[in-house]
Amino acid sequence: MRIKFKLDGEVVEVDAKHTDTLLKILKDKLGVGAVHFGCGEGTCGACIVLVNGRPRYSCLTLAGYVDGKEVTTVAGLAHDGELSEIQKAFLENDAAQCGYCTPGMILIAKALLDRNPSPSDEEIFDALAGNLCRCTGYVPIINAIKSLSKKR
Amino acid sequence: MSQVTSGYYAPASLRDAISLKKRLRERALIVAGGTAAVQLISKMIAEPEVIISLEKVPLDYVKVQGNVVEIGATTPISRLLEKKDLPNALREAAENIHGLALKDMATVGGNIFTPAPAGDIATALLSLDATLMLRGTRGVRAVPFSKFYRGPLEYNIKADEVLTAIRIRRAPGLSSFLKQTPLRYSGPTIASASVGLDLDKDKKARRVMVAIGGLTTHPYRVKRVERFLTGKRLTSELIEEAAKQLVDDNVDVIEDALASSWYRRVIAQVLFKKILNNFIR
Repeated sequence: MRIKFKLDGEVVEVDAKHTDTLLKILKDKLGVGAVHFGCGEGTCGACIVLVNGRPRYSCLTLAGYVDGKEVTTVAGLAHDGELSEIQKAFLENDAAQCGYCTPGMILIAKALLDRNPSPSDEEIFDALAGNLCRCTGYVPIINAIKSLSKKR
Repeated sequence: MSQVTSGYYAPASLRDAISLKKRLRERALIVAGGTAAVQLISKMIAEPEVIISLEKVPLDYVKVQGNVVEIGATTPISRLLEKKDLPNALREAAENIHGLALKDMATVGGNIFTPAPAGDIATALLSLDATLMLRGTRGVRAVPFSKFYRGPLEYNIKADEVLTAIRIRRAPGLSSFLKQTPLRYSGPTIASASVGLDLDKDKKARRVMVAIGGLTTHPYRVKRVERFLTGKRLTSELIEEAAKQLVDDNVDVIEDALASSWYRRVIAQVLFKKILNNFIR
């Protein structure tokens, strides 16, 4: 089948099998680097993207689902070479070390802050529960999110 | 839709979804949120010729009318939590499904079909004496949830039926869900318990619903314990006595790398006692 969707603002068209996941299409067919394959079962969060603004594990989303929708990766948050507020906050708080979890972490942070501009610690822990980081110990990531919550 | 061979179908109406299901039966896989169904494909457990995605079927709703709560089958957990007046056990089960992406994707209906360690919502719904609304080409069938599981991955649903909604009529005055997971904010359910309770004027148990999750493929009601408690005044001694008979020796409790079956039995009892003791406090 042929699917057509907006990827970070640009319309793309691609052939997909009905059983292909969005992650497979993004990585293998479109060569997207801003999405990572981790566990393939919705545990690690490295593959998270926003579909029409809501976070989804792309490894658990079938390609057909995004037909006619808007997909945003972490690369789509930057504009004209300028990082978004959330990306800057991650940089300033040393919230990335190896960087493998970072795309998913930033997108979950965005989804959380879009919905809830000043989340409590409890709400941040709850939101991040589906994103694993094996480097930072999470504290810098939580600090990055809190720094934004204070600004608003 | 006459030339259905293989592909991805996202019918816009329930009627179309049901006629596709009737035509394709086992050749099709129904996908709601995808958190469980897509894993069947990526782990090569299922090789469906056709996907029927329910994403466009308008089953994403929660309606509260009088003493009836009706939840559309494809309502995601995050939508459920937007509703303030949910029965307590259901709210507790939903709140403790952690992770924003999972809360947005996983659906109430999907949770009912997904084997352990999933099934937190199902366990809560069992203790609320919920009814499942199954719609087929010949109309709607209302099945008490306690009569839905027939065995591991075997359900009381016909080939042309689709689960459309879950109804809770007269939710119990008291209800609570508790689970044990390896980590505070994540990880699979090791064991869970959910209890719905109505007390009469003399503080005696008038209606008791006890559900246990995580121990077997699907959660189940413990009618023996319900009968034991009904008509009695709840005391900590009585609760202790009831907990002893909570998990029958005949129940084949899951044993895996995460927890032994012995541990799961013990935890189920602990959670059950905690819930009831909180009720009488």
